[in-house]
Amino acid sequence: MSRRRRFEASTLFLLSPWIVSLLLFGLYPFGFSFALSFYDYSPLNPQSAKFLGLANYAEALRDPLFWTALKNTLIFVFGTIPFTTLLALGLALALQKRFRGRDFFRAGFFLPTVVSIVVISLVWKGLYAPEGFLSSLVRALGGTPPRWLLEPHTALASIMAMDVWAASGYYMVIFLAGLQAIPEELYESASLEGATPWQKFVHITLPMLRPTFLFVLVVNSVRSLQVFTEVFVMTGGGPLHSTLTSVFYLYEQAFYKFRLGYASSIAYLLFALTLGLAFLQVRWLKLESPRT
Amino acid sequence: MRIRALLTFALLLALAGCGKKAGGKELVVFWQFFPAEQIGPVLDEFRKQNPGVDVQMEQLTWQSGLEKITAATAAGNVPDLCELGSTWFPRFAAQGALVDWTDSTAAMAQQMVLADMARVNGRSYGLPWAVGTRALFWNKALFARAGLDTTRGPENWDELLAAARKVNKLGGGIAGYGANAGERYVLFKKFMPYAWGNGGQLLTDDGKASAFDSPENVQALEFYLALAKAGRVDRQDQLDEAFMQGKLGAQISGAWLFRKIPKQAPDLAYGVALVPHPVGDRGTHASFAGGEILCSFKASKNPSGALKLARFLASRDAALMLARANQSVQPAVRGVESDAYYQQRPMERVLLDQLALAVPTPNHPAWLDMEAAIEDEVEKALYGKESAAQAVKAASARIDALAKNTDLSAK
Amino acid sequence: MSAVRRAGAPLFLVPVLLTMLVPFAWMLFLSVQPGAGGDLTLAALARARFTLEHYAALLQASGFPRYLVNSLVVAAVVVGGNVLTGAMVGYALARKSFFGRGALTWGVIATLMLPKQVLMIPLYLVLARLHLLDTYAALILPFFVDAFSIFLVRQYVTQLPAELEDAARVDGAGELRIFVTIVLPLLRPALAVVAINSFLLNWNSFLFPLIFTNSDRLRTLPVGLALFAQGEHAVDWGLLMAGSTISALPVLLAFLVFQRHIIEGITAGAEKG
Repeated sequence: MSRRRRFEASTLFLLSPWIVSLLLFGLYPFGFSFALSFYDYSPLNPQSAKFLGLANYAEALRDPLFWTALKNTLIFVFGTIPFTTLLALGLALALQKRFRGRDFFRAGFFLPTVVSIVVISLVWKGLYAPEGFLSSLVRALGGTPPRWLLEPHTALASIMAMDVWAASGYYMVIFLAGLQAIPEELYESASLEGATPWQKFVHITLPMLRPTFLFVLVVNSVRSLQVFTEVFVMTGGGPLHSTLTSVFYLYEQAFYKFRLGYASSIAYLLFALTLGLAFLQVRWLKLESPRT
Repeated sequence: MRIRALLTFALLLALAGCGKKAGGKELVVFWQFFPAEQIGPVLDEFRKQNPGVDVQMEQLTWQSGLEKITAATAAGNVPDLCELGSTWFPRFAAQGALVDWTDSTAAMAQQMVLADMARVNGRSYGLPWAVGTRALFWNKALFARAGLDTTRGPENWDELLAAARKVNKLGGGIAGYGANAGERYVLFKKFMPYAWGNGGQLLTDDGKASAFDSPENVQALEFYLALAKAGRVDRQDQLDEAFMQGKLGAQISGAWLFRKIPKQAPDLAYGVALVPHPVGDRGTHASFAGGEILCSFKASKNPSGALKLARFLASRDAALMLARANQSVQPAVRGVESDAYYQQRPMERVLLDQLALAVPTPNHPAWLDMEAAIEDEVEKALYGKESAAQAVKAASARIDALAKNTDLSAK
Repeated sequence: MSAVRRAGAPLFLVPVLLTMLVPFAWMLFLSVQPGAGGDLTLAALARARFTLEHYAALLQASGFPRYLVNSLVVAAVVVGGNVLTGAMVGYALARKSFFGRGALTWGVIATLMLPKQVLMIPLYLVLARLHLLDTYAALILPFFVDAFSIFLVRQYVTQLPAELEDAARVDGAGELRIFVTIVLPLLRPALAVVAINSFLLNWNSFLFPLIFTNSDRLRTLPVGLALFAQGEHAVDWGLLMAGSTISALPVLLAFLVFQRHIIEGITAGAEKG
């Protein structure tokens, strides 16, 4: 297998869209916002930006609300990803083989992803209302409903539950694609050797699915770390900052206080965390093809 | 291939869009938030009276509209005339983004109810256009069931609290008073009326220190907490929903209900009253005042056209036309209660009466942080983490720090 | 996998699906209730009525058909771009060895990691400098090449056996020919996911279309809907739910069309007999 280590023309051609896009729409926004994080910059008054060095970063690390937001964000991430991933994988496995009506089941589970997150958040806000449908359901089952979004210790969990519901269908589709890449003959030869379904799952499906699994994990983490709209629509960060997330906090800094420099520093601290987390996930699952 | 064609096409389009004199007419680009069918007739009237001027109106969404204005300002890509909410306005003005209109609007400003809304550091950077306030909305049917007087709403704190408690006892998911939870930019408007009504203040007259820590404000907060216990605590849109479903005895809300109730709950028997004042002679029916301000950016291409349009829009006839169509706002000019529209609608007239007693927020550059401080502490008191006295003290300390640390000179 | 009956669905899926669909049932319910209420209580169910007034209002509203067409055109172009460029770059990152591949791959992933609230203003500045604001280009170009799509294809390719490509290489086929004739067909499930995802994200995209365009003639559906249904203090629930239902249909359709390419198991190599 000859793999030349220099750039082939074909490789360059294949990579060209990304290079062009990066130059036009990637480097400038990233570089600009990174530079901004060292300035006191207001978008209303760009000319009077002041260089601050690392002052924004220092302020963020000293800011109790920054840490509250970070804590809530991490709770959100680690609290939703296991459930979303398992649910998505389970659904994908169940909807892999063909059966009558399978496409409609797939569409049904995918439906939450189809509607704008703003509308989904609004509907769930109504469902979580004290007299809303979910509370009525709990009462009908004989319990006392929690106050969902109105109590500091249930608000974040309520949003997390909604998020698991909304996201599983999305990752289910990705798992479906990944499952399809596994060649049928692996299963067939395993059957010939008398393997049980469970053994096939553990020794063929899971290892072959690793790159997809990693993809789902990384993408889900990145998206969850940036949770914003749900908080914006449903709780505005409250009650008592219990649903304040990092991106929501930096949004307030950027557009209500017009402190885009400070917001950028928060964004880049979050970026570093996201990158680190992705790195760990890659290490854990090893970013190579299992067929070495 | 396709990309290049697209780019060329786009460039041609952009170039074609250049040139602000379309057919010899002067162009005014106007960004605003009112629905097209409400502002359209007003702009048509302007075009009729000013045939040499063309207005290009763009309707902004309330969701992310501020981001759009901000991005445009950062790029210098601003409209000529823009509508800014009274909460956003001080920041824009303090950062030097707006044109100083003190001299050109002096005469008009004198006819405005809340001219101070557009003033920062004594200079006027905009023209008040539409204003809004908050009043007490109460449910006649629930009051009747609770055996209360239904000819008029609660007049003072004692009456309101008693009414809330009685309605709250009716059960069946019915709540007496709807208090706001810690909702940014909203909780403040629901609590401060009681504070102001009790004679409480935010800042000292020179704006350099906090005047928030006072017995009047503590009493107001204690009253608010008592009201919350005699009802429920939720976000504004949920409280409005509950009120329209006939499940809420009373709440402080705004004129947008005049639009929603006929559509959603046409059979609702309700009344509107001024915000109750403390018992006895002291105190007033104070409330919060806010609104929309017309302003022009320094980077605008047609500042004189913008001023012309602003003067027209804020004038009595044009503003009335808009207020009648929109119902959620009132004109900023004085004396509109004599207009037939308000004469026929006693409940909307209550809002006008309330406006006369309403208090705008201080146009201090650090105002949003101060408001956040009040909301944080009131929220903590609502959730039982602090007493009213502690909350007021804590908020006052934060406000004081902000007042002392902020450089009041406009950049 | 588990031995599944060919005839009907596994029974346990039905209650799960029904539970998942409850919020949508509410959405549909509210879209046909008169008035504009956001009443999601049992009482609302009790006094349920039926009207199509919200749907009628939207479809007759001036501009609405235009917004629909804009959304469709833009989404179609962006999806095409994402599929093509995702395949190209993803394949190159997965299969080709070159200097800096690891860094470039991480670079792709990293561009997903900065929130758009921060990227928004510099991106706006770029488009302003290029004089692309308020054009279709502003709605299309920044999104034509998409990191998510690239990353997805890359992961999928690493799961594919390389034998077919290597065999073709031995036979003397050129790299690009291998890409087009051998790899692209194998990428169908991944590209289907890319298409679904791109259509979805672009169709519902709100913030960037809002700030990058001004004119009504360029407006897309989410922005148009927000203008109709979302006021400063009040949401017109009937209009919003009806609008969201209408808006969901093309995406659902796209999903049903593209997901057919995610079929049960491939038999790579088995066709050769």
